[in-house]
Amino acid sequence: MQDISLHLLDIIENSVRAKARNIKVRVIKDVGSNLLRIIVEDNGTGMDSETLAMAQDPFYTSKGEREKKVGLGIPLFKQNAEMSNGSFKMSSQPGFGTVLTVDFELNHIDRMPLGNLKATLLGAIIGHPEVDFHIILIHCERGREYSFHFETAAIKEELGDIPLTYPDVIEYIDQSLNEGIQNTSMENV
Amino acid sequence: MKTLADLKKIREKAQEEMKLRGGSVRVKIVVGMGTSGIAMGAREVMKTFLEEISNRSLTDVLVTQTGEKGLASMEPVVDVIEEGKPKVTYGNMNPDKVRKVVVEHIVNGRIVSDYVVATGS
Repeated sequence: MQDISLHLLDIIENSVRAKARNIKVRVIKDVGSNLLRIIVEDNGTGMDSETLAMAQDPFYTSKGEREKKVGLGIPLFKQNAEMSNGSFKMSSQPGFGTVLTVDFELNHIDRMPLGNLKATLLGAIIGHPEVDFHIILIHCERGREYSFHFETAAIKEELGDIPLTYPDVIEYIDQSLNEGIQNTSMENV
Repeated sequence: MKTLADLKKIREKAQEEMKLRGGSVRVKIVVGMGTSGIAMGAREVMKTFLEEISNRSLTDVLVTQTGEKGLASMEPVVDVIEEGKPKVTYGNMNPDKVRKVVVEHIVNGRIVSDYVVATGS
């Protein structure tokens, strides 16, 4: 994975596979604290403490149907966070869901770029119409806070039986995300 | 700024169209989005499908994402499913190949056999 937003997509896919129906994604860029924080919260099946520990182990996978029993998504994300003086925390409760908090030192020389956040979010939102996404982007700098909130449940309600892949809807979501990303200065992070 | 009022207009327009053509989904596209697929460029494949659907105003095509399908050496992998026809799986996809599959297969109904890695069921 070349950037953080690709890891984010991988994490979202994990949540979907855990049957989450609500996924909340927060991306926080706090310049004063020199912090880039990603939080993904889902209401999927969750994990017990043993599975939670194994999920962070490079020699474990939840994808039981696969021949190769090695899941590298989470361990690689963890390694990339730790390489930039950051941290990786995952907590979970069976039946309730999972919360993942990944911190990066914003100006660390080894921090991977945030990358194309819009492509990750647009694909996940449209590719999983069964999931309600709540996207929050926050940019803090010099005592000011710029934020963007985007909830797909309201959009689906307004659309009724019109699918998210309807061309004008793709454009609507694409433009909304673009505006949010620009207003919170999440490009070229 | 985009508002929910914009969506209402889109819904009205889409409902008019659906009345005219019966509202059915003609083609379903499924993009494999497991860890190895993402590492091999599946996100850009998904993005290109969405761009093409939007640019060409394809109103009867659905695109979704799914997890790993055990074809790791051929990622990114895409299924094209048409009503009453065998499923076609394309492998080693990239944005250029996606554009070709959209023109040839999705729009004109001709399978791009060079990119096919599996068919059936």
